[in-house]
Amino acid sequence: MDHHELRELTGAYALGALSEAERRALETHLPTCPECAQDVRDAVEAAGALAFAVEPVDPPAALRARVLDAAARDPRTRAAKPSDAPARWTLLPYLATAASLAAIGLAFYAVELRSRIGALEERVRAAESATSGVQARLASLQSEYGAMRRSATILAASDVRRVDLEGQPSAAGASAHAFWSPSRGLVFAATGLPALPPGRVYQLWFVADTAPVSAGLMTPDDTGVATTVAPPPGAGTRVVAFAVTLEPAGGVPAPTTTPLLVGKL
Amino acid sequence: MLTRDHALMQRMAGGDVSAIGELYDQHARAVYSLACRILRDPGEAEDVVQDVFAQAWKQASRFDAARANAGAWLMMMSRSRAIDRLRARRTRLQTVPDAETLADAPEGTAGPESRAMTAQDATRVRAALASLDDAQRAPIELAYYEGLSQTEIAERLCQPLGTIKTRIRTGLLKLRSALAGG
Repeated sequence: MDHHELRELTGAYALGALSEAERRALETHLPTCPECAQDVRDAVEAAGALAFAVEPVDPPAALRARVLDAAARDPRTRAAKPSDAPARWTLLPYLATAASLAAIGLAFYAVELRSRIGALEERVRAAESATSGVQARLASLQSEYGAMRRSATILAASDVRRVDLEGQPSAAGASAHAFWSPSRGLVFAATGLPALPPGRVYQLWFVADTAPVSAGLMTPDDTGVATTVAPPPGAGTRVVAFAVTLEPAGGVPAPTTTPLLVGKL
Repeated sequence: MLTRDHALMQRMAGGDVSAIGELYDQHARAVYSLACRILRDPGEAEDVVQDVFAQAWKQASRFDAARANAGAWLMMMSRSRAIDRLRARRTRLQTVPDAETLADAPEGTAGPESRAMTAQDATRVRAALASLDDAQRAPIELAYYEGLSQTEIAERLCQPLGTIKTRIRTGLLKLRSALAGG
């Protein structure tokens, strides 16, 4: 077939309506002919529009979860594996330390958290009905309550994964666990933290491809436990690790010391 | 639009499941609707949606935002998979061209993909399609939505093959100018 005959076929080619012989002939011709190639591109554009001329139909609601689950289960998707060794881990003083997270599983932990939230709600109500002298206590309970609710939301996220942080030589006794959901945020708890020198605070960082982003400040209690909950950093930031540094009280815009806890995704 | 698609694909390539969730929320309805129209079977149409998003997930790192927008890419995949299934119900003839096949065409002017449709343009497309003569629209619809070859279309419409070839060519040119004219 010559160029003119082949050019007549470009429209049908874009629609997939050629016979095998015609298709092969055109595909042999195309790399050598910018005119026909442009015709094909134009026809593809027009044909592509036909995709949108159909009656719109909503897919079943359950399909979305199947699509996301398939992506999450794809071997290419990196997922943090829960550690095999049970870990003794304390979160807030209100929560049970008892069985390891590996044994309980996240779902049960979230249930446990919800029941603790229920207990805390009771305490908030009781505090609210009391008279003067409890305002400071109420404020502290409300902020802890808020943090626990945010924790429950993060732990329930479909994209949550666990990251373990290791104490660096400067704080060999410290360790930490983070539950990270890129869509909802971070739940973080550290144990074995050295007491703070005066005028200093621990600062948690999202470590990204670009500069680290602060995830908040922490003051350990007298047993060396510190916790925090943080929303995810901006959409453009791709988090690759978490780190804790010791900084001046009030925090800093960028880390000034080497981390004492680090954990990579 | 292109920058947003590029960012979304990068996140998918990085394993961010929430990114495929966003892609789904933007495009699943259009992907499903096309598969339903072609296959007339909701179960098969759901399978097509799963296949399309699974392929998008696997190939996200190869997606080139300079050549296509994500919607056009997904719709091309939806049609190709739906037509493949349709043709598996009868004898297969030509392989439906997909984005990768067409990528071999030489570069020249800006690719059509950069001007590709979004779902919001559906009304405009339907109007443009309605502006064609029945004689031109029928073979185009039979080719696009039924996956028939020119020969099969000629038989179906009781027309000579040469007539069908001409009508498809002029019909698509007219459709394209109706779309460009707005």
